[in-house]
Amino acid sequence: MYLILAIPLAIALAVFFIPSSKVAGALNAFGYGLELIASVWFARYILANKHIADGMLYSDALSGLFVLLISIITFASALYSIPFIERDVQSKKISQRQPRTYYLLFNLFSFSMYLVVLVNNLGFLWIAIEMTTLASAFLVGFYNNKHSVEAAWKYIIICSVGISLALLGTILFYFTVSHNGAMHSLNWSDFISVASKLDKNVVKIAFLFILVGYGTKAGLAPMHTWLPDAHSQALAPISALLSGVLLTTSLYAIIRFAVITNAVAGPAYTSHLFIFFGLISIAVAAAFILVQKDIKRLLAYSSIEHIGIIALGLGFGGSIGCYGALLHVFNHAATKALMFFTAGDITHLYNTHNMRKIRGAASALPFGGPITVLAAFALGGTPPFSLFFSEVIILYAGFVRGAYAAGAFYIALLAVVFGGLIYHFAQISFGKKPEHIVAAGTPAIAKSAFIFLFVFVCFSGFIFPDFHALLKAAAGIVQGTR
Amino acid sequence: MMAFFMVIAKRIPALITGFGLQSFFLFCCVLLIAFRSHKPEMFVLAGLILALKVIAIPMFLRWVTNKIQANEDLGLLINPALSMLSVIILTALAYVFAQHIVGVSDKTVVISFAVSLAVTLAGLFIMITRRKAIAQIVGLLLMENGIFLSATALCGGMPFLMEIAVFFDIFVFVVILGIFVYRINEVFTHIDVDKLTNLKG
Repeated sequence: MYLILAIPLAIALAVFFIPSSKVAGALNAFGYGLELIASVWFARYILANKHIADGMLYSDALSGLFVLLISIITFASALYSIPFIERDVQSKKISQRQPRTYYLLFNLFSFSMYLVVLVNNLGFLWIAIEMTTLASAFLVGFYNNKHSVEAAWKYIIICSVGISLALLGTILFYFTVSHNGAMHSLNWSDFISVASKLDKNVVKIAFLFILVGYGTKAGLAPMHTWLPDAHSQALAPISALLSGVLLTTSLYAIIRFAVITNAVAGPAYTSHLFIFFGLISIAVAAAFILVQKDIKRLLAYSSIEHIGIIALGLGFGGSIGCYGALLHVFNHAATKALMFFTAGDITHLYNTHNMRKIRGAASALPFGGPITVLAAFALGGTPPFSLFFSEVIILYAGFVRGAYAAGAFYIALLAVVFGGLIYHFAQISFGKKPEHIVAAGTPAIAKSAFIFLFVFVCFSGFIFPDFHALLKAAAGIVQGTR
Repeated sequence: MMAFFMVIAKRIPALITGFGLQSFFLFCCVLLIAFRSHKPEMFVLAGLILALKVIAIPMFLRWVTNKIQANEDLGLLINPALSMLSVIILTALAYVFAQHIVGVSDKTVVISFAVSLAVTLAGLFIMITRRKAIAQIVGLLLMENGIFLSATALCGGMPFLMEIAVFFDIFVFVVILGIFVYRINEVFTHIDVDKLTNLKG
């Protein structure tokens, strides 16, 4: 467990002393390769031991799943960072010195995300989430121009207000635990053990604060307003991290509190809230996807949609719903990260975010273009790809539960989103490419990052032998049957 | 009380002074609790509040304001009298909410929780109705003060290590926001967040 946390810190220290951006990038990618191996081993270890509690840290299958996920996405992002940063230095978008800052912040950011999913104390969970905001704020405002500074400011202010509310919720939880449960501790494992004694009303109100607070960070509508700005202005490898794992680590925090709330007040309460916010998120995102002009904002709204789907899966609940939601977390992260990478290449080549000015990307980028088209279909939820399966599992969970109206609404919205996504990506991928755009190859390292992620887009995590067991165990924890 | 003063404050330095004074009262509260409970860590906590919130953060904010020379109006969206009225209403609401949560068992707990909630809400109110970036930072700090007070009122404080970590976090947070205010001023030549409207849709 400590190894997982130690690697990002070690790389952070190391890159700080390496002046060459190429060496730093290679070291960074190598470190996350190691981290990925460690995570796979860690996940297997947890499956064998159910849960590990060690001082301030606590982990079970749910944490194991998220550790694995963070490792996969950060590894891909570290790979893609090498050519991306190199290109920005060459085109003088950033100075010679800035790559060092970039890799330092990159590691602090990923360290704080690992901390979120491994820590036992719910107060430290809050601190770790605040740390993710602070570390990534500079990465959002990295280019230091009007747009990115504005995005970073909105990001940090809106998320901090949200997170203050979550702190208030945490305090209310602590109040009832120390008052009714006679336990002076903020540990999640202790909360669960006294759950039967807690005051129902206080827990319900506290959970509302938590949901709105961490929901802001997770990008649930209507608290999502910071998200399109931050995602569209961040550097492409960082957008992938923000969208793929940052949002879901906040969701992880909500899940932890939801488990306690379910144990106290029954599952119906959180379930209704999840379905409500989930559907609103999908609906808002669907509307904005249809009329979107900016390619990265389009992807950001698609993230809101998928976070909504995950919340909906959690709301439908049962072993199927929770399983589907967690699988969806995984699939969405891989697909969206891939999309942000290829979108990063496209926007660099055309030097614009405006989709009306991007035509013929499939021929301009012989490798990245076709991948973009395939990934766009995957993102819309087309059958051979993994997102389709998790979406169907969630739908199935809804029908098993008898939530026909919500299920029907969900399908209708998915159809709208599919239409919007395919329309936009068909527009930018096909057609005649402008004369002045010269077809560009993709560097080998970026290709390997694309292929690495594309494997997950197709097969989800099932290339790992124990993945199904891990998901099932994690879904069991979300349901509260340990 | 200081929250009321801050709501009617019109200029940035007045707002910062208000925050410093309020933190000083927070310091007094914690010191009082420390004397009553004889817990050594409460004294440390009181010392930290004095050092960070009463002295360091207001000084840092003043330094940033001087640096970017933004001693102008706060850009009120709602005038002081109306602001005052709104915050009084919010306080009343906070009182009702506190009664529901805590139950009527302990009068002092209810009142102190209500006060802390009112402070939190006032912070939120300042953030929404003031246009300058620095005012938003102070509003957020005010919220944090309120939340800290509510932790003390409800549970007699959080575990010690946790408090220290939160303090450190707040401090880093303020420094980072200060840097961003500086950058906004540099890139936009003003710190009026109402005019940050480049990103839409």
